[in-house]
Amino acid sequence: MNLPKIDLSALPDLDTLTGVFGSLVHPAQALEFDDSVVVVMVFIYDMIYP
Amino acid sequence: MIIHPDLAALRNDDAPQRQAQAELGAALAAWRDQAAGAELGEEMRRFAEGSPLPDLPRLSALFDPESGKGQQLARSLLATLTRSFAAAPLGQVPLRHFCDDTIAMLMLARCGGASLALQTIDGVGVARRPAPQSASFSPGETWELVLSGEAEARLVTLCQPSPDGGRIQTQPCTLREGDLSVRNGSREALQFCKVEGSLVTLKLQRRDTSGAPSREYRLSDGELLHQAASTSRDSRMELAANLLGRMGRTDAAPLLAAMAEEQGSVSLRWQALRECLGLDTAQGFQTLCAIARNSGDPLAAPAGALRAQLLEQHPRLIALDMGETQCPA
Repeated sequence: MNLPKIDLSALPDLDTLTGVFGSLVHPAQALEFDDSVVVVMVFIYDMIYP
Repeated sequence: MIIHPDLAALRNDDAPQRQAQAELGAALAAWRDQAAGAELGEEMRRFAEGSPLPDLPRLSALFDPESGKGQQLARSLLATLTRSFAAAPLGQVPLRHFCDDTIAMLMLARCGGASLALQTIDGVGVARRPAPQSASFSPGETWELVLSGEAEARLVTLCQPSPDGGRIQTQPCTLREGDLSVRNGSREALQFCKVEGSLVTLKLQRRDTSGAPSREYRLSDGELLHQAASTSRDSRMELAANLLGRMGRTDAAPLLAAMAEEQGSVSLRWQALRECLGLDTAQGFQTLCAIARNSGDPLAAPAGALRAQLLEQHPRLIALDMGETQCPA
């Protein structure tokens, strides 16, 4: 089969983009508390990875 | 770095901490058996599968202000945990939890897209936050019973949503002990304005499984500011699809094609389709044509436009659109 290779960058996105789960434009002001809150936790190990 | 002697001692011998953790786990398991019970776990499973709350006697009793069952559940849990902490102050509660300067939350039970949580909102933290400029609506249902405290809040309702926005209505309300708030998350959001001391609530949530995104609208004019995946699964799958594409995993093209044709998040399906097209022209284009032909599919219109674009750029693809696998050229 001899088909063209399609360039991903030439493929359009949908008209309205969808952000990742939990993303908001005004997160600091969001006083609605539901289970869509995402918290990124940073772990620092001072010795070796357990 | 200053390390408390108790913590420093645990670096040399962590056996006491492991023992304390085991005892905390056992105490919580005993609480779960006595206070919550296997029936509640079974009802959470049925609730997650879509059963109406009134059909689930143990779970619905927790949210009946007259029964006092919600308060009993919270009191018995806190009594269990504080007893354990008295014996082992460095113990960690083996429940999913979240805490910042305004909210502290313990997830008591979780099953599929349903969760039961105990939540405290701190009035000082609420007062520190700037007035909200937007409201976010996540598809799903919420039952929230005030166990103690009082708050001034406003119920934000989204009316007549359109692709670019909607009409926003706000209604002030006061929440007091025993009040129950039931909300449809795709059009109702509760925003706390002022809390006296702290507000403790028991909250039951069930996510919508339609794949519809959560949407954030500006309060002043109802303009759509942002939309986001409504479940972490959708975002995880989308990242996985992108990764497979960047890795050039042509063997994943059938999987991506199947993802593109599934029900659910249109964003996830579109990204899977794009990656499939980039990895395997034949598989991707045939999937694109199948979606474009299905007029009931919300992706039919963009798929049809993309099919036309690709046919113009690569006329040889017409053979695939006709259901053939070999290019006549």
